[in-house]
Amino acid sequence: MRQRSRIGSRLIIGLVFLFLYLPIFLLIIFSFNRGDSSVVWRGFSFHWYAKLFQNRLIMESVYTTLLVSLLATAISTVVGTFASIGVYSLTRRWRDPILVVNDIPMMNADIVTGVSLCLFFVAFFQGWGSFAQWFNSVQGLVELPVRLTLGLGTLLLAHVAFNIPYVILNVAPKLRRMDKNLVDAAQDLGCTWMQAFYKVILPEIKPGIVSGALIAFTMSVDDFVISYFTAGSSTSTLAMAIYGMARRRITPEINAVSTLLFLAVLILLVVNNLREARLERLAQQQPIHQPRRPDIVERLAQGAATVRGRWLRRGVALAMACVFVVVVCLLSAATGAQPVVNVCSWGEYIAPELIEQFEQETGIRVNYQTTDSNETLYSLLKSGGADYDVVVPSDYMISQLIEENMLEELNYNNIPNFSLIDDRFKNLSYDPENKYTVPYTWGTVGLIYNTTMVKEEITSWSALYSDEYADNVLLINNSRDALGIALIYLGYSVNTTDEEEIREAYRLIADANRRGVFQARVMDEVFQYMEGGNAAIGTYYAGDYLTMLENNEDLAFVVPEEGSNWFVDAMCVLRDAPHKEEAEKWINFIASTEANLANMDEIWYASPNREALEQYPAYYEEKYEEPLDMEFYEIMAAPQEVLDRCEAYLVLPSEIRTLYNDLWIQLGA
Amino acid sequence: MKNRRSLFAIPYVIWLALLVVVPIVIMTVYSFTTADGVATLEHFVGMNAYAGVFLRSFQLALIATLISLLIGYPVSYLMAREGPGFQRVAMALIMLPMWMNFLLRTYSWMSILENNGLLNQLLAAVGVFDLINALTGSDIQYFQMIRTPGAVVLGMVYNYLPFMILPIYSVLVKLDNSLLEAAQDLGASTVDTFRRVILPLSLPGVLSGVTMVFVPSVSTFAISRLLGGGTQMMLGDLIENQFLGGAYNPHLGAAIAMVMMVIVVVCMAVMKHFGEGEEQAVML
Repeated sequence: MRQRSRIGSRLIIGLVFLFLYLPIFLLIIFSFNRGDSSVVWRGFSFHWYAKLFQNRLIMESVYTTLLVSLLATAISTVVGTFASIGVYSLTRRWRDPILVVNDIPMMNADIVTGVSLCLFFVAFFQGWGSFAQWFNSVQGLVELPVRLTLGLGTLLLAHVAFNIPYVILNVAPKLRRMDKNLVDAAQDLGCTWMQAFYKVILPEIKPGIVSGALIAFTMSVDDFVISYFTAGSSTSTLAMAIYGMARRRITPEINAVSTLLFLAVLILLVVNNLREARLERLAQQQPIHQPRRPDIVERLAQGAATVRGRWLRRGVALAMACVFVVVVCLLSAATGAQPVVNVCSWGEYIAPELIEQFEQETGIRVNYQTTDSNETLYSLLKSGGADYDVVVPSDYMISQLIEENMLEELNYNNIPNFSLIDDRFKNLSYDPENKYTVPYTWGTVGLIYNTTMVKEEITSWSALYSDEYADNVLLINNSRDALGIALIYLGYSVNTTDEEEIREAYRLIADANRRGVFQARVMDEVFQYMEGGNAAIGTYYAGDYLTMLENNEDLAFVVPEEGSNWFVDAMCVLRDAPHKEEAEKWINFIASTEANLANMDEIWYASPNREALEQYPAYYEEKYEEPLDMEFYEIMAAPQEVLDRCEAYLVLPSEIRTLYNDLWIQLGA
Repeated sequence: MKNRRSLFAIPYVIWLALLVVVPIVIMTVYSFTTADGVATLEHFVGMNAYAGVFLRSFQLALIATLISLLIGYPVSYLMAREGPGFQRVAMALIMLPMWMNFLLRTYSWMSILENNGLLNQLLAAVGVFDLINALTGSDIQYFQMIRTPGAVVLGMVYNYLPFMILPIYSVLVKLDNSLLEAAQDLGASTVDTFRRVILPLSLPGVLSGVTMVFVPSVSTFAISRLLGGGTQMMLGDLIENQFLGGAYNPHLGAAIAMVMMVIVVVCMAVMKHFGEGEEQAVML
């Protein structure tokens, strides 16, 4: 009877573990998949591991994660231990309120901690900026940095801030259980305070410190939300890298890195468990009633005798600390000394070999990042989290940035390749005197549909809102494009400032949403949906359609008869960018004909470079030994009669932008 | 001598003030002002526009907490009954997934729950869809799992279940066995012993477990984004959207975060009320 209940109990525990571990095992299995799918098995291979070590984004994020977690654990363990000792020697009247405040980061939702720290850091940086300016102006000896941004430092501070409470939580009960007279006794017997700490307090509270450190490390590694708000743009932890990738598609390199992490942790745990089991066995072999007090007294008595041993131990600890510091310094110097340019574009949007080529030619390191929409890019810039030099927003967002005085005028003498840009793309309405921008790509927004799921030929935007394709339509997940298309369908201008027209467009979308027409709201996630045949209709950009077509031949693209939006994305330099010179070198490099050809070939967005646009069919034929289908070319670089049907976005007045945002959030709520 | 030790508290008090209190004060100021620095209540007044998001967040988080409790309590109870070797290994196994980042764990569910994902493939291979189609005359190729509220709840339960198991287990494992024996000696049935001895004594663990699952669930944005496909907007998404997302308005975001924080404080107060002086039960 007893035996059977034991089996039943283990069965239930086993099932829960299966639930916990099955997804992880699947993750591991598919890290060995030859294909790039995490669903279809195509044979065994190690090549994702090989690729993993070449993937700078993932490797750097793993390094950041480990560095921050280890440093934060070390700092918060030491600080937390001393803080607990300090707090516990206070009277209750002082201690209790401190412990309540100490609980706040633990009990608060991560997002609240993250957001409040983010606001705090940004406010501090602003204050610091004015202080440093004043300080630099009154004296010439020390030059303080005026511009501080979110980064590794703030990430580390945030992690320490949410780790310390866990350490205190674990150390405090041990201190509470400890006899306070012991320390006094030790000091009466001639110990210095430090000796008393090492000989008496530390051994007593050690289990608490160890478990506190362990939990701090766990929380640090597991954290995403707080890092997301405090790491800024140039630093990214593994979790942030995954979150960024999830927009488009997560490559099996992530499976590979998870597998390695899992194995590392597993080995650590097994070793630790074996050690603990051995210690326990040893403890069991000894007499059960082992007197505890004499143990400490004994240790005290030994104190004087072990001076040499102590120095040895201190020496080892010191040496280890030195090695650690040196390694950290070397690594940061290796990445810090090199000239850098920080680039941020929206969407997945460059031929990766261009980055390597530029780095080799100039020795300037490129940090290339993407955001998922123009609006997100804007939020990042405004929140103070970004330290980009070059940004690549779309036309209407550029005007907004210019309006808010966020861009730096370019020195076109440093960008000779600007002359290669077709006159059609110079002096456009967003930058009429062309002082700030160099065009990067241009194209149209269109409707993409899967011909196996949509039988007729689509010619109108009405398909987006019709019940015919209920639960099979993807709504583009940014207010400007979604409402813009609805406005076009209703026959209004995309730049209308008539609130009633905008609300009508909103009602069109909201009604369709209520009827369940939309399967999901997507930006770059559209690739997964359309390529995988998970949705029938989506709205996206012409270039991206051609990329999808490479993976799914059944897709078709149309610029509907009502018209559409045509856009120019352009490179600009942010005001006070720390690496303006490097930024202009980068812009000049990207504006070259070779770079434009490579980019067009990779991302299928039309180039504003006249030569590149003309030469592309020949380039294609030479590279792939087959002629370029001119139908694709015309989708990429829409001919004038299509552009005539399209309208460019202009910057909207701020109250209309607020209306857009409000309506957009209401749609989700 | 005593004074010297309490000196250690001073740097920490300064730290707490700077990195815990001041940020929350700044957030509060943000929530009561406009972008031009004018005091306003408009963010709170306009909050009812998001009632749907609040409702959905609380609904899903409550369901997830309840499921976690229903799974977590029995497992903790059974684990606490096992031998020390088994317990140690089991604890290690529960902690282990937490050492892989929670986004990795969420991501692994994406490929399982997709329309053409592993679970639907398995069901198709077993012939479930053929059977249903033959029985009902329908034509389904897959069950819609991802991008449903269910998927979001699953993601929450999966990620936060350890936070339910750990505190309950740590209370149950410290339970004095002689109390149970006494109860049985005094004639209590197994059910009675559980209801009148074990359950009340494990309540502090349950309460901290509930808070530790509910709070991150109600405020999540990554899970709802990855498993909800952007269709299941939650409070976390709403806040994130105001700071780093498409709609830049940190003042409104701070106001929403404030409201959420107040809810957390209420939860805390309730918890404190039930589990007086049991803070060490929160973890391990």
